[in-house]
Amino acid sequence: MSELREPAFDRAVAIVLRTGAFVCFFIMLAGLIFGFFVKGPIPLEIERAGVLLMLATPVVRVVVACVLFFREKDRKYGWISMGVLLILLLGSVFGIGEH
Amino acid sequence: MLTMALLAVLGFLAGLLGALTGIGGGVLLTPILALYFGIPIREAIGTSLVAVITTSTASSSVHLQRHTTDIRLGMTLELATALGAAVMAYMVGYFNRNFLEGLFAAFLLYSAITILTKGGKVKPEEESSPAANGEVVIPHYEPQRYPLGLGASLVAGALSGLLGIGGGPIKVPLMYIFMNVPLMVATATSNFMIGVTATASAIVYYRRGDILVQYAAPIAVGVFLGSLLGAQLAPRIHRKYVVYLLVAVMFYLSGHLLLHLLRGVL
Repeated sequence: MSELREPAFDRAVAIVLRTGAFVCFFIMLAGLIFGFFVKGPIPLEIERAGVLLMLATPVVRVVVACVLFFREKDRKYGWISMGVLLILLLGSVFGIGEH
Repeated sequence: MLTMALLAVLGFLAGLLGALTGIGGGVLLTPILALYFGIPIREAIGTSLVAVITTSTASSSVHLQRHTTDIRLGMTLELATALGAAVMAYMVGYFNRNFLEGLFAAFLLYSAITILTKGGKVKPEEESSPAANGEVVIPHYEPQRYPLGLGASLVAGALSGLLGIGGGPIKVPLMYIFMNVPLMVATATSNFMIGVTATASAIVYYRRGDILVQYAAPIAVGVFLGSLLGAQLAPRIHRKYVVYLLVAVMFYLSGHLLLHLLRGVL
């Protein structure tokens, strides 16, 4: 099952991760630089957007892999990806109501 | 403002060390945040999880381009690591903070000793592999013992949710020794899995308010730059000395953490 050498698949997932990392970096950096000049909550909210996008990047990676698996008619791994996605979403439910 | 610059520099160093040695930065950032920035241990763990995700995301895109990552195997084991991480991250909310801090100090000490006795050989084969020219030859293999792999991944995930670490030291030997996966692939796949595993716990930490954005953002910016530079420098540096430096820092931090804990308890 573990056929490596699927360059297109690898590349698609790599692009998701690289884009996520770079975009988050620039958003957070913008928030930090903005914070030097502006007082108030806005810089922190920009930084928060960067952090949340960082948390979203691996989730998007799972979604993209899931779509690619189903498109390749590799249903087994499509469902496995769906399971991982479900656990990630469950995680966001777990956190509620506890401070 | 000074704090922010300091955090970015710390993140940079952690990212650099992580990329040079293969030992994640989370294990250093958590005690530093707790000891020198006065952040409670749970918030320190949550905040450094963001750095762990940043490192994994940035570096696994490089591994993917070399086609050394087994996405299918990684996704399968992630079923277990993500579940373990999310459930444990939830339970951590009910743990005593001193207990958590003691656990972290013990883990840090244990890791330092393990690295030292192994002579700094975290991933010995990778350095000799001809990865530099882009053409990596991977022997054919078939992952074996999936039940064992999933069970151990559950434990690795739980440790990640508990201590805010990636869990590479469990997953790499697991895949390499027990699942019959080449070391190069095991390393890349473990790194690939860390992003999803850490995210599963980070979501829970975030919802609980345990990720301090004002600390996480400058650290992540530094980590990103540090790991980019580290990836460039890695082939040209004597890894052994960097590992010894890292072990020394780990010993120091675990000692300080234990002292800090004793002072808090007494």
